[in-house]
Amino acid sequence: MKKDRFRLGLIASWLGFLVIIVIWQLISTFGLVNPELFPGPIAVARSVAANLTAVRVLQHVGFSLMRVGLGFLLGGTAGVVVGVICGWYVKLGAVLRTPVELLRPIPPLAWIPLAIIWLGLDEASKVFIIALGAFFPLFTNTYKGMITIDPNVIRAGQMLGLRGVRLLLRVVVPGALPDIATGMRLAWSYSFGSMVAAELIAASSGLGYMIMHARELGTIGVIVFGILLIGAINFLTDYLIQDVILTRQLRWHYIGTTG
Amino acid sequence: MRPSGKKARSGRLTRAVDIRIKIITLIALVATWELLSRLGLISMLALPRPSHLVVTIGRLATVGFPIDITVWLHIRATVWRILQGYLLAAAVAIPAGLVIGRLYLLERAANPIITFARSVATISLLPLAIAWFGVSELSRVLLVMYGAFWAILTNTIQGVKSVDLTLINVGRMFGASKSGLFFQVILPSTLPRIFAGMKIALGISFMVIIGVEMIGTVEGLGALIQQARYFYKSDIAISGTVFIGIFGLLISVVLDWLERRMLPWAVGLEEVER
Repeated sequence: MKKDRFRLGLIASWLGFLVIIVIWQLISTFGLVNPELFPGPIAVARSVAANLTAVRVLQHVGFSLMRVGLGFLLGGTAGVVVGVICGWYVKLGAVLRTPVELLRPIPPLAWIPLAIIWLGLDEASKVFIIALGAFFPLFTNTYKGMITIDPNVIRAGQMLGLRGVRLLLRVVVPGALPDIATGMRLAWSYSFGSMVAAELIAASSGLGYMIMHARELGTIGVIVFGILLIGAINFLTDYLIQDVILTRQLRWHYIGTTG
Repeated sequence: MRPSGKKARSGRLTRAVDIRIKIITLIALVATWELLSRLGLISMLALPRPSHLVVTIGRLATVGFPIDITVWLHIRATVWRILQGYLLAAAVAIPAGLVIGRLYLLERAANPIITFARSVATISLLPLAIAWFGVSELSRVLLVMYGAFWAILTNTIQGVKSVDLTLINVGRMFGASKSGLFFQVILPSTLPRIFAGMKIALGISFMVIIGVEMIGTVEGLGALIQQARYFYKSDIAISGTVFIGIFGLLISVVLDWLERRMLPWAVGLEEVER
């Protein structure tokens, strides 16, 4: 019984996608809306074939991924480091947290104008915004992980003769890893969104630019394709992070908590 | 019991000390900034000094930028867009989530679609929205709605799915009708999750609208800072960003307060599904 239910569920989850695509195609086949504005899946594929080449698309994807990867690494590393420092050296932490907490409520996209004034329209301003998107979630979660660690774990480490930086790196930081991992996923989604926005507003390459440019040319099929591509890449990268980090590297943390 | 000697590192500062350090840091930061700027070590064009920013903020509140659009008008435009999109999203997502969460097969069918739709960066829909509806209020509101919608929907579905079966059985045992079961058992135990979703959704709405307003908009906080950048007015851009920060802070403070007031039993609820 239960197995049947599960199997039906599996079928349903594929059917859902199929139904959506069929409805999408039917709407345009029967001309319910202007096909110029609302192309069906087949029209989208045609438009993409006519306006884009695989190399061009790969170039845009490459630019976007490079930007988001670089910004994520820089901002994320800074977030973890500052978070660890704030959680370990409490007084210095209170000093450092002052500017960080003042700037945190500002969404990353709101930095775009300032980033452009400060760093120009080059790569630097985009990477800066993406880095900010990664910094705050990783800082917040690292800091939270650092201060919520079970004091008995620390005491056990001390009893075994660890102190100072060794205690920090061998016991406390590993203890905060699950929270850091949570922060990582959040940070990635912020970085990714910031990347798309920055490319929409000011770029001459990348996926965001590709769809904004397609709007100027009026090729809606390319816009739709770009949106789906951005969604697919975001989904895949998020899945990779979740799979690699959360379930493989941190398996010890989840044993016993989930099935 | 603390071990004597070297303290366990869970030792934290008391609130009073923490706040004192923060106030001193803040004053020191601002003073250093002002001083370096007056000594000519920081370019006024890139980073105007604090005293100048205070004047700019005052001018934004009275004269406005562009002329006659005061910061209050910008805020009003932004708030109004957020409210429309957000409430529309909630009005559709909550009932839809309640239904989907109760029906296993529908939930299975919807799950991959929802997962994918959430992966689509809301801001990437902007070119499509402009192509369909022009650079208009409708485009902006719909994008806010899209961003907010999925967070509320997934949390509502999760909430319904995780209602304690015992509660439902007890309700049945006491002869609750279908609607009674729904309104008196399922809905109340789902509320904390719905609220968690709405909280996340409001943050998303705020981020989306700031990004959306940067393109082809005259009124709104995002438009304010974007226009400041066209004229390379960093003082206005920074002041506008300050308003955005205060606005963002206000949202999270109010939401925390509301949650504590309305759902005291759900404080500390893990935000499982973002």
